[in-house]
Amino acid sequence: MSLLEVKDVSITYQMPNKSVYAVQNVNLTLNEQESVGIVGESGSGKSTLAMGILRLLPSNAKITGEALLHGEDIFKMSDKRLREVRWVNMSVVFQKAMNAMSPVHKIGLQMLDIYKVHYPDTPDAEIKTKIIELFKIVNLPPRVYDSYPHELSGGMMQRVAIALSLIFQPEMLIMDEATTALDVVTQSQILDEIMDLEKNMNIARIMITHDVSVVASTCKRVVVMYAGQMMEDGDVTDVLVKPKHPYTKGLLNSFPSFSGEKTELRGIPGNLPDLSILAKGCVFADRCPYAKEKCFNEKPELKTIAGNWHTACHYPLGEEDNA
Amino acid sequence: MKQYIWKRVLTGALVVLFSVLFNFVLMRLAPGDPTRLLAGKENPNPATILALQERYGLNKPIMVQFVLYIKQLLHGDFGFSYVSNRPVLTIIGERFGATILLAVVGLIIEITVGILLGVHAAQHQGSKFDTILNGISYFFDSTPAFWLGLMIILLFSSTLHLLPTSGMYNVRENYQGFRRVLDVGYHMILPTLTMVVLNIPYYFRITRSSVMETMNEDYIMTLRSTGMPEKQIFRKYVLRNALLPIITVVGITMAYMITGVAFIEIVFAWPGMGRLMLNSITTRDYPVLSGIYLLLSISVAVMMIVVDVVYAYADPRIRYED
Repeated sequence: MSLLEVKDVSITYQMPNKSVYAVQNVNLTLNEQESVGIVGESGSGKSTLAMGILRLLPSNAKITGEALLHGEDIFKMSDKRLREVRWVNMSVVFQKAMNAMSPVHKIGLQMLDIYKVHYPDTPDAEIKTKIIELFKIVNLPPRVYDSYPHELSGGMMQRVAIALSLIFQPEMLIMDEATTALDVVTQSQILDEIMDLEKNMNIARIMITHDVSVVASTCKRVVVMYAGQMMEDGDVTDVLVKPKHPYTKGLLNSFPSFSGEKTELRGIPGNLPDLSILAKGCVFADRCPYAKEKCFNEKPELKTIAGNWHTACHYPLGEEDNA
Repeated sequence: MKQYIWKRVLTGALVVLFSVLFNFVLMRLAPGDPTRLLAGKENPNPATILALQERYGLNKPIMVQFVLYIKQLLHGDFGFSYVSNRPVLTIIGERFGATILLAVVGLIIEITVGILLGVHAAQHQGSKFDTILNGISYFFDSTPAFWLGLMIILLFSSTLHLLPTSGMYNVRENYQGFRRVLDVGYHMILPTLTMVVLNIPYYFRITRSSVMETMNEDYIMTLRSTGMPEKQIFRKYVLRNALLPIITVVGITMAYMITGVAFIEIVFAWPGMGRLMLNSITTRDYPVLSGIYLLLSISVAVMMIVVDVVYAYADPRIRYED
């Protein structure tokens, strides 16, 4: 059985005068010790999906489908059961680490409080030793325990957030743009550390980012999302090397490559569609350079290319398009 | 932290010194000659005037006069009232207690009730309770103090004959001992009610918005995602963080509490500093007025220092600044 199985999940924000279809029919499987990246531009629904899996969405968000954690549907868990599962089985690192902890409480104290949520009988001294050990793993000095968040740099706070997420060695870690705010040097250091930790602690990871290079260097599989829908998913070595979906290709063309020859840096013309209107055809058709009549009238299903590689396109790109 | 407190105290002292200087200059700029007034209106004797100038040091250079003025202040000599010729400090002293009594009792009630209502409304955002209270708060926030005071007098005193219209105690009976305390309490009900009703909206709204804002902070989301029960998150983390803007607001109102109750005192003929100030303005009793202003500026300065120190204890980010 897979660690996490997301089946046909749709998330709709109910507004007073309209509905915003933020995530539509997403399927995702995460096996133990696996790493999956979810990429897409801002507003593509990747964070909403993650927050939905964690059940941290505001009450006006309606979720349908299933998210099975070891076969148990997270969406159907009681509040009590949900609290038990949180942080012990699945934890999260948020984007704005500078704001990830209460500014008026010492970091050690907050972590101690969080530890006691699940193990209230552990003596304080023992927890403190554990936390300081954890700091050492993420390259933080012990003095952080008695520091306030404002006394640390952005990179240090990011490490604190990571240390916090690892406190119970969860099976599943969701990183929501966790390194986006950092400079590239710190980012690559932290990414290396995370990958080492995963091996040692048997953690599976969902990495949400708009940065394709982060996924390429740290994930085994990737899901490409656009306007709340899955465009393509499969192994990083397939999807990011020879994309079948024009959107994936556009996303890849929006980033410069470090090696290889100089190519023109191209964005994707146009903007995200209005998510309150359900498109009849393919959501990407308006911006797609390859769009044909069928694309505007008929919604493409996810089709298998090979093995676990799928794409939702009527006319998948061939080898010659990626040349 | 020590350095921080010293800095605040020094700033406070400077503020007081400047207000003393301002006070002094204002008095010298006032039209008319006090010695002429003291010597008598019709053809005063020049020798008397000279003697008076000598006595009050008015023939000395202005800088020397200023130093003399400060010396007098330090000795508790605030001058004499033009109207009653009694020492200013004694006059203010008689009224100070009444103002502080009204202000402190009112503040305690309005802060407690305002914060409790605000927290409750924030927790039940959008509920009937929240909506109704919000509406009421805007209504009373825009109500003038004198109007509400008069309406309350009209209702509780004139129509229902339940409570006295004005004053601090029953002058005719002049109760003593415990009965006196009860009598003052009885007279306090209406002025306190007016003050509290007018000021609760202020604390209510700042608390409500502060708590609501804090509940949406990222760190609260982090705590929620760790499985911490909502009650614990709210009591330990939301309230503690939401307190910071509330401290600022409470501090400012405390600093101005003496002037804050002036309108109430005037409407209810409460024998406090507010009424004294109004009377002194109408009778042009400058020494009393300047005494009141000085006291006000000192109390504002002291309260500001207290607030800054309390704030520094509440918010670790402040402590390390400067």
